[in-house]
Amino acid sequence: MRSFEHFNARTMEEAVAILGRYGDRARVIAGGTDLLGKLKDEILPKYPEALVNIKSISGMDYIREDNDVLKIGALTRLEDIAVHPAVKQHFGALAEAAGRAASPHLREMGTLAGNICQDIRCWYYRYPNNRFPCLRKGGGRCYAIEGDNRYHSIFGGTVDDGCYAVHPSDTAPALIALDAVVRTTKRTIPLEDFFDVKVSATTVLDPDEIVTEFEIPQSPGKAGSHFIKFALRKTIDFAVVNCAAMILIEERKVASARVCLNAVAVKPYRAVKAEQAIIGQELNESTAEAAGESAISQATPLKDNGYMVQLAKIIVKRTILACA
Amino acid sequence: MNADFQQTPNNLCPYCSAAFETFDGLKAHVVAVHKTEPLPKPDGLIQLTVNGQSHKLLVAPEWTLYQVIHDKLGLTGVKMFCDRGACGSCTVIMDGRPILSCMTLAIECDGKTIETAEGIAEAGHPLIDSYVNHHTMQCGYCTPGFITTAKALLDRNPEPNESEIMQALAGNLCRCGTYPQHPKAVLEAARTLKEEHSK
Amino acid sequence: MTEKKLGPYQTLKQEGTYKIGYDKPTVDFKQIGKRGVRRYDGFEKASGKALYTRDVNLPGMLYAKVLSSPYARARMLRLDTGKAEKYPGVRAVLRYDDPAINGQELTGSIAGTTRMAPESAGWAMLPVKTILSDQAIFEGQMVGVAIAADTEQIASEALKLVKVEWEEQPFILDKEKALDSDAPKLISGADSNKIADEDRELTEQGDVEKGFQEAEEIIEFTARRDAHLWAGAELPSVVARWSGDKLEMWVHEQQPYLSKLILAEQLNIPMNKIHTHSLYQGCSFGERCNPSNWSQNGINVLAVLLAKKADRPVKLVLNRAEKFYGFSGDLMVSQFKVGARRDGTITAVQMNNLFANYMCTTGVEHLVENTKIPNLRCEGTTVFVNKPPAWWNRCEQLPNVFCQTLVFDHIADALGMDPTEVALLNDGCEGRDKSYLEDFQRENGFEPRDSLKECIAAGKKAIGWDENWHPPGTRQLPNGRMHGMAFTWSHDWDDTRGTGSAAVLIQNDGSVSIIAQHSDVGVNPWTTYMQIVADELGVRYEDIEINPFDLNVGFALMSPDGSCNLGSNGYVVKKAARKARRMLLDLAADKFDLPAEALDIEDSTVFEKANPDNRMPVKDVVKMAVPMLNAVGIWTEPPVLDWAWHTQGLWGMALETGRPRMCRQANFIEVEVDTETGEVCVTRVVNVNDVGKAISPETVEGQMYGGTYMGLGRALAEEMVWDPATGVLLNRNLLDYKYATMLDYPASDNIYIETGLGHGPYGSTGIGENTATMIPALLGPAVYNAIGKRIDDFPITPNKVLKALGKI
Repeated sequence: MRSFEHFNARTMEEAVAILGRYGDRARVIAGGTDLLGKLKDEILPKYPEALVNIKSISGMDYIREDNDVLKIGALTRLEDIAVHPAVKQHFGALAEAAGRAASPHLREMGTLAGNICQDIRCWYYRYPNNRFPCLRKGGGRCYAIEGDNRYHSIFGGTVDDGCYAVHPSDTAPALIALDAVVRTTKRTIPLEDFFDVKVSATTVLDPDEIVTEFEIPQSPGKAGSHFIKFALRKTIDFAVVNCAAMILIEERKVASARVCLNAVAVKPYRAVKAEQAIIGQELNESTAEAAGESAISQATPLKDNGYMVQLAKIIVKRTILACA
Repeated sequence: MNADFQQTPNNLCPYCSAAFETFDGLKAHVVAVHKTEPLPKPDGLIQLTVNGQSHKLLVAPEWTLYQVIHDKLGLTGVKMFCDRGACGSCTVIMDGRPILSCMTLAIECDGKTIETAEGIAEAGHPLIDSYVNHHTMQCGYCTPGFITTAKALLDRNPEPNESEIMQALAGNLCRCGTYPQHPKAVLEAARTLKEEHSK
Repeated sequence: MTEKKLGPYQTLKQEGTYKIGYDKPTVDFKQIGKRGVRRYDGFEKASGKALYTRDVNLPGMLYAKVLSSPYARARMLRLDTGKAEKYPGVRAVLRYDDPAINGQELTGSIAGTTRMAPESAGWAMLPVKTILSDQAIFEGQMVGVAIAADTEQIASEALKLVKVEWEEQPFILDKEKALDSDAPKLISGADSNKIADEDRELTEQGDVEKGFQEAEEIIEFTARRDAHLWAGAELPSVVARWSGDKLEMWVHEQQPYLSKLILAEQLNIPMNKIHTHSLYQGCSFGERCNPSNWSQNGINVLAVLLAKKADRPVKLVLNRAEKFYGFSGDLMVSQFKVGARRDGTITAVQMNNLFANYMCTTGVEHLVENTKIPNLRCEGTTVFVNKPPAWWNRCEQLPNVFCQTLVFDHIADALGMDPTEVALLNDGCEGRDKSYLEDFQRENGFEPRDSLKECIAAGKKAIGWDENWHPPGTRQLPNGRMHGMAFTWSHDWDDTRGTGSAAVLIQNDGSVSIIAQHSDVGVNPWTTYMQIVADELGVRYEDIEINPFDLNVGFALMSPDGSCNLGSNGYVVKKAARKARRMLLDLAADKFDLPAEALDIEDSTVFEKANPDNRMPVKDVVKMAVPMLNAVGIWTEPPVLDWAWHTQGLWGMALETGRPRMCRQANFIEVEVDTETGEVCVTRVVNVNDVGKAISPETVEGQMYGGTYMGLGRALAEEMVWDPATGVLLNRNLLDYKYATMLDYPASDNIYIETGLGHGPYGSTGIGENTATMIPALLGPAVYNAIGKRIDDFPITPNKVLKALGKI
């Protein structure tokens, strides 16, 4: 790896100050499992000048039930979330998503904040030494359009209508389905509004802004939530398609529903049409099937990823049925 | 160490970027103006306890923990296989967690306690014998990474079942495909540990 | 009397070095075949103490990096290394136009040495061969310049300062379009991308036209396969150090002696000046002995030249991405025509196989060697595409196994027959039926056994074939998935050849050393050699040691690269042990004052057969051997040592070598196909191998377990993806190249049968390559049996399943 300046921050204030000083020339490092891969491969046109380690800040690794809210510190490791009894009991989708992310070792290292802040996956974007200077790096085009796009967006391009990469996070759709909010050093926003699409960024975070905490409301009534991931291998892999859903059933009918897909577009894809399709309905094979159809009604697959549309349809159906 | 790194003036205030001629001057400024103390010590000097032995090391920021343990400390039980966090061969146990040393910066490990396969063998852990007895290796390159991962599991869960073992070892790749032998070997080690404890 | 000139087989047979008959055991097995023998390499590997080449660090050592081509096809117009040479910490820069390279036959492979005919090495057939060319014919090819510097990072940074002016040239990736008249030609001025490949143009047996006339059912189909690669654990690595005119090397090689030979020829260094160490080897599967592998010998040559230039030791380790350039000989399209009678007798098979970037098999060889099908015709075409060279990848029999499996599965299906029945009906050898094998067994001292029948019976029982097999697409499970089963079979092929030499030395304290160089790529070879020596010599297993890391001794055992480990090495160590035993007994005869024939050795003790109480430990026999009083009055003795050589012949068919293949194997699989997602879930694999004789049962099972994971990964998930627009290999890392994890597939059920019909010592045969090669071919038939649709396009990924089902 090429060198950089490195700071083990002691306090959030200090971390923010260092970031402020470097502007977009510094990166935050926590688990490091995404960032170090990018640095080793030198995929970015501008190599960071400094890394600010926030693992050295104490007290950011916790899971607390607080009144009607579950609070999770930004630096809580995915593995700890996956095995936490309260998370497993009341926030099934999150426990399942955290437990299916990456590999056991990476879950011991990777944090919840890191999992939602991770960069997009695209083999052109990630190719070492900036071999493909794509749109996202300020270049002229998306190489996936003419290239091999078996793992790319089925819901169109973004970043000036051109980048067809997908957002790989497993926990992001779960947090969105669970209606979580994210707290940063500057603001508190619904997780759904956290993701953004711009050159060299996937979130709304400013360069000197750091995620500090997640808050998830206790699910109303007896809402159940689940997460399903389709990947070629049962571990290590990123999702080809994943989906999380939280569904509240009252008097045998769906009272409310939140369904979110990921790995199908450049940011998590809330399947609003699927939600609409089941609200007021009984949950069964045929309504779930209809919801799956609705989820993909606006899909525009590329030449190699038509199968992802079918997968998205089925994974939505199965996730919804799992909540029944 | 990279030349640029060494030349960078270290006496900049992390909070307001004010420059100082000496480290002591910076420190006085931070205490007076920003009301915080002490300043983070200059990065680079770390202390690691590896297999029970303490090491003080001056590391460059970009050095991974793998580089320090393998190249500097000469512990060959950490192996470079994928170098991108996808295979588990560089696994060490750090503060009880099985982590990937190739995806960890050494400079962020100050004060940590680390175990490698060598330490597990020196301590006479039954995993070593059970791995040998069950032929839980072919070319052997990935084996120490499995050993460290399995040891971390047994530390947390002394009586795992087969499924728990497989889940714990799922991030370790083995191209020779020794997979079915691992649960057998780990189960036997767990039994041996239990017998040793009951004695 | 005129001297009659003998062919190679007659010569070898006459010398007694090539065995075709049963190698009947003459000693009681105590270690051989026993479970629980302590693995030689076990502790070292489990504890992290085992050393691999990358672990070697020498004082003053430099680190080297090599430039690689960013383009699928390009020519260097200008190479400016000025800035790189001046970069602080750079100690040596080796350019393609350096006198040490320019104009030399420095290929990265065996090609170009006198040891291998150029036309039989894949790399040699490609138009650009040298290790540091100014021309690239695939993206990722080592080109132009190599740099040695104080650290890896400095070498990498210096490479970035190298300025290259490239002329990009048109390229072609698609094997099926490579022969189009408007396809870019890899050789400038050539009128075709076809590689002249006489050996494979036509293989013919009998008369296929006649065979099709006799057929009552004729089918035709096409199948496609894509490349996968070795992807072993250890990275390609080498350390080279010069001391005057002596060269010391640490190599990651499957066949280290051969690599030394090539280096000696290429760089004109006498072999006795090269001291090579081959430490433990982190996998190979053919990669590290691959005659066409551009990086294999290439990195050795570069490290040696850089070390000379810098006058410092040099370590060159390729990174994971760089290791991805090279692949199995599976870029292949096959067209089949099969004719059979209604009773299941196959009367004719015709196939046309198109390969890309060379492969050394035709696709029809197994149908020749283990069936009685009288009429076979195989036409082969080989083309260039701008991808790395193709070669064996555990192993070169992949195309043969695929073709045999598909031929049998398709015809059994067309006839509505159980494929196991069709297999049994057509078992044979080179167009002859099973009576040929039976005669051979009788005439050569073998037990009469029907290997295929035994394998199939055991496998059917284990997987519940008779209860569960069904017509295609007819069984849906309660979980909604479709159930499928498949079976395939073939002969053993590890192998009829291989050469090695080794010595057995009884040291002054009675401990025994096996002396030979050898690379352990993971098949537990040394334990098995020690087992054989223990039983043949009569010493305790614990008293034996082997140190194969040091290659200066001159004895060299065959590594499993020629598909041959125990098959030849077992004979070598057995013969050496027997010769050493004879020497020991001769010495003991003096001491016991008895003829050597009256003595025996057991448990490291010599004793009188007629009076077992009259005994003496081996260490005392050796001590008494030839006492010498040296200058300082200490007793020393010359050790007892003898050595042996063996070859297990050459390639060839039974009629040429005199020995048919008699061991068979059968593989069974059960899958569930999720028709909504296209996922193929493997639920059971049963491997049945007639291994002749299992020397180390756990090792046999280990190879069957491991081969299953590799095989299933190859069939279902492993795939190399090239960018169609640039020719760049996109998934050259272990996240995007998806090989099996522990959770992906079930542990196989492994059954081995011991008929003694193998070509190796005690009637054994190999197991290392078989399973990984057999299993991939099974998945097409299994998925067909589940969903009733053919997907003969490997790997069988969810998108292909969904397409076959009409879901997308």
